Order: sequence, then structure tokens, then C-alpha cells
Amino acid sequence: MDVKKKKLYVFGNRYLEFDSLGTKIAESFSKEISISYVNAPETLLYSKDKEITIIDVVRGIRKPVLIEGASRIRSRKIMSLHDFDLGFVLRLMHELGSDKKIKIIGVPQHGNAAEIAKEVRPWI
Amino acid sequence: MSRLISLNHITKIEGHAKLVLGIKRGKVMRCELSAVEGSRYFEGLVRGRRYNEAHEITSRICGICSCAHVIAAISAVENALGYSPTEQTNDLRKLLTLGERIRSHATHLYFLALPDYLGYESALAMASRHKADLESALRMMKAGNNVIRTIGGRDLHPVSAAVGGWLKYPKKESLAILKKEIVEAKKDALKTCKLFFSLKYPKFDSGAEYFSLVDSKEYAVLEGKFTSQHTSFEKWQYKDFVNEYHEPRSTANFVVKGDHKYMVGALSRLNNNHAHLSRDAKKMLNLSRLKLPSTNPFHNNIAQAIETVHCMDKCIEILESLDIKNEPVEKLKAKESGGVGCIEVPRGTLWHEYSINAEGIITNANIITPTAQNLLSIQEDIRAFVQSAFDPWRGKAHQEL
Repeated sequence: MDVKKKKLYVFGNRYLEFDSLGTKIAESFSKEISISYVNAPETLLYSKDKEITIIDVVRGIRKPVLIEGASRIRSRKIMSLHDFDLGFVLRLMHELGSDKKIKIIGVPQHGNAAEIAKEVRPWI
Repeated sequence: MSRLISLNHITKIEGHAKLVLGIKRGKVMRCELSAVEGSRYFEGLVRGRRYNEAHEITSRICGICSCAHVIAAISAVENALGYSPTEQTNDLRKLLTLGERIRSHATHLYFLALPDYLGYESALAMASRHKADLESALRMMKAGNNVIRTIGGRDLHPVSAAVGGWLKYPKKESLAILKKEIVEAKKDALKTCKLFFSLKYPKFDSGAEYFSLVDSKEYAVLEGKFTSQHTSFEKWQYKDFVNEYHEPRSTANFVVKGDHKYMVGALSRLNNNHAHLSRDAKKMLNLSRLKLPSTNPFHNNIAQAIETVHCMDKCIEILESLDIKNEPVEKLKAKESGGVGCIEVPRGTLWHEYSINAEGIITNANIITPTAQNLLSIQEDIRAFVQSAFDPWRGKAHQEL
């Protein structure tokens, strides 16, 4: 696949220090791939892409991790519409039989964006 | 024998709530419903800010109904400054509000209500056997979402609506695509009605006074008098009729009319406004065999399904007549004043009130959400419903429920 046609879905909030590393790393790939900043996770339900690659900050990890496939995600029970989060949306896609290839790149809350970008580059 | 039941996390609501029930010898002695979200202090946050910032700040009160707070805040500020929006601005505001209602109703019906009626723990658990139903829900949510993004400029916390007008207009081509999508999604809305009409609803009469805006020209959205089966009053009179009080156990205030409960929301709107439903929504109402007025809160889901059809028809009607002209945003002159905004949003009637000084700074704010207005009514309905389970003539099924 032509790398420029690839899209990276970016979660996180660039204005919150503890939630911004994913957005900073994504920016470093912006010349090579298409970057989509996600406001609402349900956007993924309507994506026409066959491969969905997501980058988001994960609390409690020190090194980046790659999660492939939505079946590995455990979702909380939906308590309210406020819990209609990324985990729920990905599980829902899986349960509805979506054949999209899901990759989630989890990055730590803190770290050097340039260094971590080098580590996650092969996963994109 | 006495028993205390404490449900610290009530599932499938919008927001977070807790319920404590005390039952002694078949009598409900204690029933306390509390909203337990952290205190938000939004009314304090807007104090000291300029009048044209209120809608951007209060939009963050809720991710599900951010458009509602945007439009209610703008309406209140414009009311204070004596400005009436143009017809085009009103149409765009209606679209934003209706799009949000479509998204919210579709999500509520299929992801919060339906799993309970069909006996599943969650929508995820029912996905394999009810795939077509959930796909219907997703198509309707997408249509509602696209209305919000196209008209408001963003999926959440829209940025195009402003005090005095509209900041960025949608393109004609986008509006044409939007109309096509809603026409398609309406098929799902009609299917949703039939699905929700086929469910079995418990018999229960809350006896609540049902309030909503009532507009003589249309199914009320942004305008009208706050009306029930007993009374009607203008927006600016609300403090004479509606009282807020605080219970230490709850972070949300309780609201009463006089000294008694009342309900707002889709069923109240349907009770008060059904004569103004679109042709197809009226057909659905007839098909439902719902007898109006109804004060059975379980019928709220039927009302939401019928409203979804109506909201789509109304969006189509507006989109067909909308011929966007580039109207500049009116710069409003600050003056010492106060104003009330009151609109119909997915869960019911939403109130915003602001006081503004001569420099255009907000000096006081009051926001009353539909949830706060419904809280007492829901609590008292639970008390009566649970009590009715102990009625000797009730069947086993009712007692288990």
C-alpha cells in the first residue's frame, strides 16, 4: 500500500500534558500519512478505511505497545452515554462482524515524542 | 423484615446516579435517587466572562447535548440584549437542535433501553442476534451526527453558532448530501417505531404534571410557552413557578413546580405538541395506539421513536427551503440587562439565564437541565413502582421486575 494513502486516527487532547503525547507523535508523521484527529470515537464506526490505525495515550505503560484486533479489548459495561468510548466502539465493531483490520498504538503519558515516534514508525 | 437496597451505579442513564431503597414489611420506607457526578460549577465559571463566551463554556456541560447548551446560552444572551435572530439563523439553530435529538434518541433507544427490554446485559451482548437493529441505530446516529457537523462545524461542541448570527455557513452541496442521508435514515426511524411499538411496557401511571414548550406554529423546538395540562407561562416568568432546591446527597439540584414533581422530555412534548407532528410521525402515533396524554414514563421510549421520525421530517423540510445567504454576525451592544433562554432538547426543557453588566460581563448565571427537573419525578415514580410490586393482586412477573 502507498504509505501516503495511510491514515492515522489520533485520540487525545493536545492541551492536556498527560494526554497529548499521541498528538505530538502523530504530528511528526503528518508529511507522510493522513492524520485524522478524532473528536468522537463513533467516527470510527462510519470509516470507509479497511485498516484502522489508532494512536492514543495509555496510562501505566513505560514503552509503546501495539494491540492488534478489537477482540483483545475489554470494554466496561455501558453505564451511560458518556461511556460510549473507544473501547466500546471497537468492541461493537467486532461484535457486528466488522472485517476492518484494527491496530492500536498505545504510547506512554510522558516521554520524548521524537524518540517514541521512531519506535512506533514500523507499526504505522 | 426490613431490607436496604443500595445501587451505587445505576446503569444505562445519561449521567451517573445512585439509588437507596429501604423496604420494611412490604412498604417502601425510603427512596432516594441522587445524581452523583462531581460538582461542575459551570454557573460560577461563566461569571466574569464576556457575554459571547457563555455558549462556548456551557457547551462543555455535556458531550451528548452540547448543541443544546450552545443554543440555550445564545438565546438567553440575545434575550438580554434585545436581539431577535434572522429566520435563516433560527433555521440553522433548529437544524442543530434537531440533529442532536436524532443522534441522542437513536443512541438512547438502542444502546440504553432496548437491551433491557430484550433481556440483554448490554448492546454488545445483543449484537450478534440483533445486528440489523443496531445497524439501523448506527445509521440514524450517523445522520444526526452529520447534521451537527455540517451545520455546527464539529461533531461535538459546535463552533458555528454565535451570539448575533452564524459564523460559518454550510455549503449548498453539503446541505444536499445531508438531505439525502436523512431521507435514507428515515427508513430506519420508521422501523424503529415499529420495533418499539411491539415491546411490552409495564402499566404505570406517574400522574406527573407534564411540561414542555408549546408553540402555536409548530412542534416546539426553540420558542413557545412552558405549558402543562394545568398551566402555561412565559419563559421570563420561570422563577415564579419553578423552584430549585438542594439535597446534600445529590450533586444535581432538584426542581419542583410549586411544591410538587413534574416531568419534561419526549413524552411531555408529545402530550403537548402532537397536533404539530409531521404527517408520517402522526401516522406512527396512530399505529402505536398510544393514548395521549400519557403519564406512563415507560412510554417515553415510544415518544422518542415517534419524535425521531418527526425530527427527520422537520430537518428535510428546513433543508428544502433553506437558501443560504451570507448574513454578517450582528455585533450586539452591551447593556446592563438580564435574559432567559429556554429550548427543547433531547431530555426535555433546558433553561439558561444570564445577567450582564454595562461592560458586557456576565454577573450571574442560572442553568436548569432536564435531568434536574426530572429527578424528583423519577425518584417518586420508582417509589410508587416498587411499592406496587408488593400489591397482593400483582402477578409474579411484576414482582420480579
